[in-house]
Amino acid sequence: MNVLTIEHLSIDFPTTKGVVHAVTDLSLSVAKGRRVGFIGESGSGKTTTALAVMQMLANPGKVAGGAITLVDTDILTLNEEEMRRTRLSRVSYIPQGAMNSLNPVMRIENQLWDGITAHEGTTDRAELKRRSDGALESVGLPARVGRLYPHELSGGMKQRVCIALGVILTPDLIIADEPTSALDVVTQRHVMQTLKDVQARIGAGLILIGHDMGLMAQSVDELAVLKDGELVEHGDVRQIIENPKHPYTRELISSVPLVGGESFLDDEVGAPPVNRGKPGVPLLEFSGVSKTYGAVTALQPMSFRLDGEVPKIISIVGQSGSGKSTMGSLMLGFNPPSTGQVLFEGQDIATMSAAQGLEFRKQVQAVFQDPYACFNPFYRVNHALKFPFKQFGYAKSEAHLQEKMEEACRAVGLDPGLVLGRYPHQLSGGQRQRLIVARALMLSPKLLIADEPVSMVDASLRASILKNIYDLKDRYGISILYITHDLATAYHVSDYVIVLYQGHIAEAGPPAAVIGNPQHEYTQLLIDSIPWPDIDRPWGTSSTAAEDAARLDRLAKANKTEFRGAVQGFELEIG
Amino acid sequence: MADVPLTRSERRAQRRIRRFDNPWLNPKLFWGVGLLVAIVALGILGRMFWDPEMVFVGSGLPKLPPPGFENLRGQTGTFAHPLGTEGSGRDMLALIIIGAPNSLYVGLLASLIGMSIGIFLGFTSGFVGGRTDDVIRVLSDVMITIPPLLILVVFQSAFGDVTLTLMALLIAGFVWQSPTRLIRAQVLSMKQSGYVQMARLSGASTWHIMFREMMPNLVPYLFGSFIANVTTSIVTAVGLEVLGLGPQRIPTLGRTIYEAINAGALIQNLWWWWGIPTLLLAVMFIGLLLINLGLDEVSNPRLRKLSV
Repeated sequence: MNVLTIEHLSIDFPTTKGVVHAVTDLSLSVAKGRRVGFIGESGSGKTTTALAVMQMLANPGKVAGGAITLVDTDILTLNEEEMRRTRLSRVSYIPQGAMNSLNPVMRIENQLWDGITAHEGTTDRAELKRRSDGALESVGLPARVGRLYPHELSGGMKQRVCIALGVILTPDLIIADEPTSALDVVTQRHVMQTLKDVQARIGAGLILIGHDMGLMAQSVDELAVLKDGELVEHGDVRQIIENPKHPYTRELISSVPLVGGESFLDDEVGAPPVNRGKPGVPLLEFSGVSKTYGAVTALQPMSFRLDGEVPKIISIVGQSGSGKSTMGSLMLGFNPPSTGQVLFEGQDIATMSAAQGLEFRKQVQAVFQDPYACFNPFYRVNHALKFPFKQFGYAKSEAHLQEKMEEACRAVGLDPGLVLGRYPHQLSGGQRQRLIVARALMLSPKLLIADEPVSMVDASLRASILKNIYDLKDRYGISILYITHDLATAYHVSDYVIVLYQGHIAEAGPPAAVIGNPQHEYTQLLIDSIPWPDIDRPWGTSSTAAEDAARLDRLAKANKTEFRGAVQGFELEIG
Repeated sequence: MADVPLTRSERRAQRRIRRFDNPWLNPKLFWGVGLLVAIVALGILGRMFWDPEMVFVGSGLPKLPPPGFENLRGQTGTFAHPLGTEGSGRDMLALIIIGAPNSLYVGLLASLIGMSIGIFLGFTSGFVGGRTDDVIRVLSDVMITIPPLLILVVFQSAFGDVTLTLMALLIAGFVWQSPTRLIRAQVLSMKQSGYVQMARLSGASTWHIMFREMMPNLVPYLFGSFIANVTTSIVTAVGLEVLGLGPQRIPTLGRTIYEAINAGALIQNLWWWWGIPTLLLAVMFIGLLLINLGLDEVSNPRLRKLSV
């Protein structure tokens, strides 16, 4: 029996530039108890389709044709009141950012009760309490969570509360829109297992929307691949992953970097790395650096010396809150360390004169996580490239500046004619992030801090942007500190990997040892939690969540560090 | 598509879409600016085509109604005084020609000075932080709780007769708090934004970050705040004038209302005396409100609607 049948669905958005066809002629069905994944890039129409099923399309979007049938009801003929009663009780929606979906001034259980009261009119407190406790327990949360407020819960717990809310009225269909994209890998695994368990128990159909092929492979039964509003491939997940027919599907699968898998970097080495270090003086040195915010220790004392003579990529990996971004901002001098010194070419960056400060800025640049925020919306994108180039006195003339900009754009695979002279909102996320890489290339610093440079970019573009960054090291002799939560990419690009857990170095060494054959329990846990596009790989069961929590607790107390060998030109120690 | 003539609803939809593309073309802004321009034009054209000397006492018979009406004494209005005259024979039309732009001038000047103080303090507070921030924040919070009219009444009685500019300066001392708070909040959030960090990485000076990176993005907020302040300033100025404070010798709308009330215009049914200045003030406020709503649409794209 099908819980959802979509026939020839088309959705249009009238805009100033004419009508945009967000979804074109999409036909698909979801059987009872089946899990169907919708995969595609941003703008491919996956969320729009789901919202059409909920009758929650954002203005001015409208269904232009086709039919949507939920079990036996034609959704498109329902009026507003009938649709209100259908939402949650027959089809529920679990949104992306659970943090923003819960009311911050209501207790969790009251929010669960709201849903029941709105649909069934039940107001008996004991009955409501029994059902909300039951729903919370079904997603692995203790009943006392019901008495708490949203800010008292972690991100993973809030997401599970949203799942409890979605299943409390045992709907026929659950739509989960990237339910884990804001969570780190360990929590992601727990939340996905919870969702799968609950869905199997109530026997509902599930639509999982996402862009991560690995997560799909480990979670769904069927896969629907969308591109530009069209369904390009649909079928059993095993068949699609093992034998993809459409070139776009193949691209999606191959863009997922695997630990130990084939490298996405070209083997051919460009020009021999340029030697740009000062002999005898380390490029960047941490000496006994730590950072505390009040009672919270963000980074425990550590020292390292990065010798810039041969350019290197040092990766710093860890979950959110591990202190990796703190390290980045210490290196950029945005934050002073609580103890110790950060030295650039032997000079403490806290005590630099204005001239030395400008020289430091010239030599240490950064690529940040959010390509949307890095451009001032008021200016054309040229401003971001031009301004530092002039400020640092590299520009000889306007023509020279223009030529340099075009050259940098071409080096990162952008057509200067198409990109330069536009406003940031006219470019895609991938184009913007490449422009930031082009900016770094123009300035050619000695050190580049790349803080999660690809985490907000579509999966299919990640590999090529990482390749651009990698080229900076190979062709232009720039040393790079790559800060990431993604162990698979760190494995491929880096010369040395540091795994941080709660501001403490858990494991450090060459990537082949640390990530390829982890010895520290924390690194092992991280690697086990990564979803891979491999259906036969076990990805834990529902009981793993409790075990993992216990393991993490134990690890936090142990404070053990595994050193797994050294590389020339980089020394690391604790304290 | 062929040359099928568009239906009415299609044409309307197209107009809406054009408006969506260029938010400055919204009707609220258009009407709001239109009303204010009309008041300024009244001041300029009036001086050219009407005799401003008639603001003086005894330009005509006292308490004459507009033509077509009769006052309590049974006198009918004449076209020599199309809006009638007030208690001491001053011509109402000449009074509003001189008075309405004066009220607007006080509002604009007070708001301009208040905004400048607000921009300066807001940026200082958001940027410097620490003790400076504490002082400025506490000061503006305290000032917000003090009712300005109370203090101004005391001040103005102490100064006696003031000029329009001095009154604007005094009022400006009470309209800098909300722009200070607004700009401080925006600066604090923008300081963390990617493009400001990028500018710091590019070796930008603090001055550059403030005025080249942050300021352009604040423009819609500043405009909105400015207009709201003009409204507050005019309300305060009129409030003082109606109490009989403020400039004694210069005609303003508020002063005219004060004199009308004082002379018992309400019970004598001299409606044109107090009614016309009140109407003009209402037009002014509606104009300012419409501009504010229009600017809101410019700075907040979510308020723009494609469908009705």
